[in-house]
Amino acid sequence: MSRDYSLTKEMDWTMFTLYIVMVTLGIGNIYSASFNEDAPNLFDFTQNYGKQIIWTAISLFIGFIIFLLDSEFIRKSTSIIYGVVLILLILVLFTPPINGARSWFGIGGFGIQPSEFAKISTALALSAYVSTVNIKLQDKKSVFISNLLILVPMVLIVLQPDAGTLVVFTSFLFVLYREGITYDPLIVYVINQFPGVRIKKTLIGSNFIPILFIVIFLSIVTLLINENEVMIPFTYIPLKGVEIILFTIVILTILFVLIVQRFIQKRERSKLIALGIVSALFIGLLVFFVDFAFDKLKEHQKDRIELVLGLKEDPHGKDYNRFRAMSAVGSGGFNGKGYKEATLASPRSHHVPEQETDFIFCTLSEEWGFIGSIVVVILFLTFLIKTVQIAERQRSVYNRIYAYSVAMIFFYHFAINIGMNIGLVPVIGIPLPFFSYGGSSLLSFSVMVFILLKLDSERKEVLR
Amino acid sequence: MNFEGRKYIILALFIGVSIIYSFKLFYMQVLDDKWKLNAEQISEKRREITPPRGVVFDRNGKKIIANRPYYNLNFIEKNITKLDTHALAQLLEVEDTFIRWRFSEIVRTEGEYKGKSNYRRNRVYSFIKDLSKEEIARIAPELYRFPGFFESPTSMRAYPFANGANIVGYLAEVSEEEIKADDFYKRGDQIGKAGIERYYEKELRGIKGVKYLLQDAQNNATQPFEGGRLDTIAIQGKNLTLGVDIELQAYGEKLMQNKLGCIVAIEPETGEILALVSSPSYDPNMLVGKRNISENYPKLVTDELKPLYPRPLQAEYPPGSIFKLTQALIGMQEGVIHVNSSYPCNKSLVGCHNHPTATSIDKAVQFSCNPYFYAVTKRIIEQNKVRSVFVDAEIGLHLWEKYLHSFGLGIKLETDISGVRAGLIPNVAFYDKWYGKHRWAFSTIRSIAIGQGEVKLTPLQMANLSVIMANRGWFYTPHFVKSIGDDGPLPKFKVKNYTMVDSIHYVPVVEGMRKVTEEAGGTARRARIDGITVCGKTGTAQNPHGEDHSVFIGFAPMHNPKIAIAVFTENAGFGGTWSAPIASLMMEYFIKGEIKDKAKEERIFEADLLPKKKK
Repeated sequence: MSRDYSLTKEMDWTMFTLYIVMVTLGIGNIYSASFNEDAPNLFDFTQNYGKQIIWTAISLFIGFIIFLLDSEFIRKSTSIIYGVVLILLILVLFTPPINGARSWFGIGGFGIQPSEFAKISTALALSAYVSTVNIKLQDKKSVFISNLLILVPMVLIVLQPDAGTLVVFTSFLFVLYREGITYDPLIVYVINQFPGVRIKKTLIGSNFIPILFIVIFLSIVTLLINENEVMIPFTYIPLKGVEIILFTIVILTILFVLIVQRFIQKRERSKLIALGIVSALFIGLLVFFVDFAFDKLKEHQKDRIELVLGLKEDPHGKDYNRFRAMSAVGSGGFNGKGYKEATLASPRSHHVPEQETDFIFCTLSEEWGFIGSIVVVILFLTFLIKTVQIAERQRSVYNRIYAYSVAMIFFYHFAINIGMNIGLVPVIGIPLPFFSYGGSSLLSFSVMVFILLKLDSERKEVLR
Repeated sequence: MNFEGRKYIILALFIGVSIIYSFKLFYMQVLDDKWKLNAEQISEKRREITPPRGVVFDRNGKKIIANRPYYNLNFIEKNITKLDTHALAQLLEVEDTFIRWRFSEIVRTEGEYKGKSNYRRNRVYSFIKDLSKEEIARIAPELYRFPGFFESPTSMRAYPFANGANIVGYLAEVSEEEIKADDFYKRGDQIGKAGIERYYEKELRGIKGVKYLLQDAQNNATQPFEGGRLDTIAIQGKNLTLGVDIELQAYGEKLMQNKLGCIVAIEPETGEILALVSSPSYDPNMLVGKRNISENYPKLVTDELKPLYPRPLQAEYPPGSIFKLTQALIGMQEGVIHVNSSYPCNKSLVGCHNHPTATSIDKAVQFSCNPYFYAVTKRIIEQNKVRSVFVDAEIGLHLWEKYLHSFGLGIKLETDISGVRAGLIPNVAFYDKWYGKHRWAFSTIRSIAIGQGEVKLTPLQMANLSVIMANRGWFYTPHFVKSIGDDGPLPKFKVKNYTMVDSIHYVPVVEGMRKVTEEAGGTARRARIDGITVCGKTGTAQNPHGEDHSVFIGFAPMHNPKIAIAVFTENAGFGGTWSAPIASLMMEYFIKGEIKDKAKEERIFEADLLPKKKK
């Protein structure tokens, strides 16, 4: 450690402030979402809000410890942390199931979910492995091992089972994408199996991850809003199902072209505009195809897909959870109904299931309306952009990979959680960072942020 | 290789998703009202509060329709644990099988929607309705043994006097059609099905209150919506004051016991109905509540003596000789006869009894001379305005019909009970249909002269005729309700109806009616009351099915009449024998408040004039 290192000077205070703001808003929101008239004290530790405060204190304390550690120590402990968490993931499979899943170690009134910490350990392990000097994500062995590091905890999590966290683990693929991973050798190999075909390189292989995810995301959205009907804002022209997406694509493409025209240097323009329009056409075709294909499916096949998407899981009828959540969000209006005045996502009525955890966003947007919702979206977007900015300023590859891991994990939680609250993503039970009630998730997200802050604060000290 | 450019892809992903979510949020929360409506449907509950119905008083302020608390035994299936059906059946004093049957009946009556039953395990249903205070006092202390069951109070009707069933009517649950026709009603609500309860339903039912509540996912109310700002309170229905004198009504029902027939008494000055007796009648308390109705209604419907049949309003009888009054009046107004017209009692024209020759109108009324009125009517119908007797009779009959309509005969008296009938005054069209156009003349239809044949009147019309005589030429449409709240009667009952006969012509006819009760040779000497001048007219309506019906109309006192009355006793023979004394007792009771001649009263109480085969 260099002589003039000072944590308070080097720490990214913007990031830290964002963290504190979100955690505070989170507690305030939980206070409203699980308010108990018999225990109105915010610091009543038998209530969810009291517990969340305890977990915040624990998180800050552990954060303090992390700040005391040397970041070199964290780097060196990576393999031990990864190993310990893997052992915990195995051990948790031998606990009695809670709600049909073996995900919890119960300690007194509190529970610990090792899968939450597996995200951190995997992020660290991936950082350590990929930053090793002789590793190149273009050769088969490195690609295989880096994918294996993600795959092993995923398999253990499937066994719990915990679908939500499983999905989140695919976020690491984007981190590898940023680090230049290419699946080209594999894809070239597969394609060359066709007789008479001989190629050396595909564009798809190196951009395989984002393309794959855009395809999956758009397919799901297409199916989810298959039967929805909306009016074009400020008009009375109805749009149905696929038309909604196509309309949105056209609008976004126009926006994209305008932004390019205005802000991008001349010589880059035509290339970007061409890329944008080609992507838009591609996406349009894809959406059309998915919709067309779904319609051609047999009834029982449709049913199965709808079941997976969570459109058919509830005894109260198709779409119950999503419908309730969307009603709560949509009824918030522009200003919201006021703090603790929610009528649907309220602890008195229980109209929205899982309202303190997976559907916490309902309470927030019902009570604070569009204003509150957009503030949360902006907070998360700022957090994400800030994290990418931090990542890109690292000299150390280890630090950069870790920072991108944090960004992608947060993005997944943000996109999936809010997406299912507003009906754009199937109901997958994962928490909204800092807002959902739950000790393990708060602690793991906090630790993630604190490690990032610590690594970042020492970025000038290290080379690799 | 440098992959730093890929950060833009990732940033684009972050920003793109955020923009899409922002748009979606804006659309859902600001532009699209759908979710707000859904949220209301999910979270708000509209609870209606039915107010007690208006109370009904008689003319002296006595309560004749009251509200009394009753109790429903309710349950919520979700809360029922380990139900001992045998013990419950014993507590409710029903068969064991009833319990299971009742549960399945409730589920069945709830119906289904799209193949799913509307029945909900967490909703309140009435297991047994309309338990009296005594019944619930026995059941309620035991209910702790049956979790899920509880009682709730409701308001039901009570009729303290047990009289005037055909006036007050009864309540019953609304039918599906009634719910569809008026969104005031929900299933299980009560609605007036007959009598005052039906006619004044809108006044009596009041205004429902509404409470808006928030409900939780189990449909339990949690708190008032918006602090109860939108709630409205229930307003009790308006009270009604009837013109009916319930004690006179009760007395009339007592006089008519063991007789078929009716009494209608009206205050001439106002048109208010003082009593409307239909005999036999029933205790209106028999039709209070679902359980009573299902037990008693079938009995009343199948009773051979038809207690549910409101005879005074719906029975159409030949009026007999009381109809002669109108002939005399029309004759004088038309100028075809005058006060001192004399006609011999020519029994070859039509049968008559022995009496001195009627040398004037009043005497003709006194003796009720059939040939006299035959001659009068002939002159009304045959005025020789044209040469053809057929066309002449047509003109005459048309004129005659118009006169009678002005007396409220042959048309519906729009009184405040539905189902009133018009009676029958045969007209040109009627006889044309019967005999053919221009195929009839006076001689064909002469039986109308003395109120026989085709002519039919309801007892209400007879009483109204009596009112017209008492008022010498005008009447208010007879009605029950003298005041809705404090607002007086309906406007239509404030309109004076004049007959087409000038008031001067009534003088000799009314004098004749006095002689009927007061002078030797009068047909209704039994109607005399000491110290009160009674005017009356008897009638005997020929009845092809058995003994003749006995009719009497009259009013008293002669000057400033207080009461006008019609009494119709089926199968009682000559009008003077039974109907006249009953009428006189009613009038005496009303005017004096007591009866002097106890023997006369006793004779009526004891008389049993029910048809033998029907007994």
